[in-house]
Amino acid sequence: MSQGGIRNSRILSVARHVPDLVVTNNDLAGRMETTDEWIQQRTGIKQRHFSGDDVGAADLGAVAATEALKRAGVRAEQIGLVIFCTLSPDYDMPSSACVLQARMGLSGMPAFDVRNQCSGFIYGLATADAYIKNGTCDYVLLVGGEIHSTGIELTTRGREVGVIFGDGAGALVIGPSDDRTRGILSTHLHADGKFAEMLWLESPGSRERPRLTEEMITNARIFPKMKGREVFRHAVTRFPEVIREALDTNGLTVADIDLLIPHQANQRISQMVAMGLELPEEKLFTNIERYGNTTAASIPIALSEALEAGRVRDGSLLCLAAFGAGFTWASALIRW
Amino acid sequence: MRTALQGLSHNLAPLADIAGVRRPIAPTGGASDMALPAARSALTQAGLTADAVDFIIFATMTPDVTFPGAACFFQHKLECGTIGALDVRGQCAGFLFGLSVADQFIRAGTYRRVLLVAAEVISPGLDYSEGGARVARLFGDGGAVAVLGPTSGDAGVRSVVIHSDGRQYDRFWCEYPSSRQHPVRMTLENFAQRVHFPTLDFDVVRDFGLATLPAVIDEALGKAGVARDGIDHFVIAHVFPEVADRVAEQMGIASRFSNPSREFGHLAAASVPVSLSTSIAAGKVGPGAKVCLAACGAGFAWGAAVVQL
Repeated sequence: MSQGGIRNSRILSVARHVPDLVVTNNDLAGRMETTDEWIQQRTGIKQRHFSGDDVGAADLGAVAATEALKRAGVRAEQIGLVIFCTLSPDYDMPSSACVLQARMGLSGMPAFDVRNQCSGFIYGLATADAYIKNGTCDYVLLVGGEIHSTGIELTTRGREVGVIFGDGAGALVIGPSDDRTRGILSTHLHADGKFAEMLWLESPGSRERPRLTEEMITNARIFPKMKGREVFRHAVTRFPEVIREALDTNGLTVADIDLLIPHQANQRISQMVAMGLELPEEKLFTNIERYGNTTAASIPIALSEALEAGRVRDGSLLCLAAFGAGFTWASALIRW
Repeated sequence: MRTALQGLSHNLAPLADIAGVRRPIAPTGGASDMALPAARSALTQAGLTADAVDFIIFATMTPDVTFPGAACFFQHKLECGTIGALDVRGQCAGFLFGLSVADQFIRAGTYRRVLLVAAEVISPGLDYSEGGARVARLFGDGGAVAVLGPTSGDAGVRSVVIHSDGRQYDRFWCEYPSSRQHPVRMTLENFAQRVHFPTLDFDVVRDFGLATLPAVIDEALGKAGVARDGIDHFVIAHVFPEVADRVAEQMGIASRFSNPSREFGHLAAASVPVSLSTSIAAGKVGPGAKVCLAACGAGFAWGAAVVQL
């Protein structure tokens, strides 16, 4: 919940950037035992974008962020805080937020990473909201960026995870709104670490001795693993639950939602969530068929497309929701 | 309304000889395991049980696994239901970054009772070869947990300021695994090249600390409206203990400051809260004392806070 503070925060601009290379399901079928039909039926994905060598999450993020600043009419030196949401950072350490600063020539303002996987973007949004509400910052640059293509195993052994993910970035400039009925109305963040190993990347990790070994590399322990059925089962419960929590907090109902942008995890999950909520399909935004799952970048990429398509207008009630590794899940209600 | 420190406790790994020095080294377990005993005793101090916690913020650069974050593992082990569990990366200044975020959430009314965790298990990721010992011997393993909540009184977080400058991110870093490398972010060849160990440019890291720490301490003091003389105790954390010593001398506060890197080795995000917790436990500072906490490290990221206990 987020009712305190002296003013609201609102999204001033959104931009996205994905690498040029498009990888279709048929391209993947040339590298592993899978088919276009199988991938589409299970996930709704037709293609995804992959980056080239020496391109990191912060490089994609910097392009999107530069465009978002331009669209908001906000100068880089007005940014009071940079939050970067990712699970595929440029380097092991330091944060991709610092690398983003370097790519954009920024310095001085605090910059940190939020590492909350598929829910990372809404965790970052909630954090940005608090800084603006309190008047600590006027403008926050919130970026979600992922390079998954170098962290998945594009072979038959790794296909369950490998076919799902794509590269991309989205960026928002968030600023103040004196109108307390507009902007971010509330955010709701959850986790349940009991299920941490249902969708995870085990190595390297500080609980190992040593943290990284040749065996981990050879035995593919440096690639993420997923128990797909468990993820699906929890997702279709937690998504509606956290959306209803947001609506209840604001005294609103499903009928008040103008557009639901779920984290683009899987088309089947999104459809089941909409059906369970009795939300008409035209109020559900999906673009997973063209991007795959871009984790922390999926909501800002989707939001930028929804705006361009005219599906979010002045006064629209927008609901963002996410579920993923952790498990973590989250929602936000926004009056545009 | 401001944010009060309602409990603070720490956990240091048992001492061991490593790379020619004696350091707290965790024989087993990850960052969440390091934090767990500290969380239980910080909650006891605050007179609270785990179910009273609204939100968890975990600052670490050495999470249990690559993902999900250490906060999720910690949340489950502490049995905190389904409250939010945020992982932040502010490297060596991670505690101050987490304190800033916690303070914002509490002041905005988003959350009322936040557990701020700063814990690191760095030792399993260091290079103990002859060539790596110069870096390996700098670090140690430890964690601390702060219980934070709103207060209408004078005590609590009087100021917290944080900064970053990523333009020299590769002067104190761990390059691999790197999502930038195609086709795979970590290979056996990378492993053989030892690029998965942290490295530092000693001169640049030292000079950056010397330049920024006095300024950020004065900035936090100015924002809190407290003079240097009004502070009972300072904690200054930098990977090189000599840097903290020189800053304290230069600022005329050497008689009332703690240097965690000298005491424990550099605990990264955990340095500042472990040091403050040990000073409280030793009776060096007590209720009502005004403390100033500062850290500067990888990123570069740095910050300072003034807190009244």
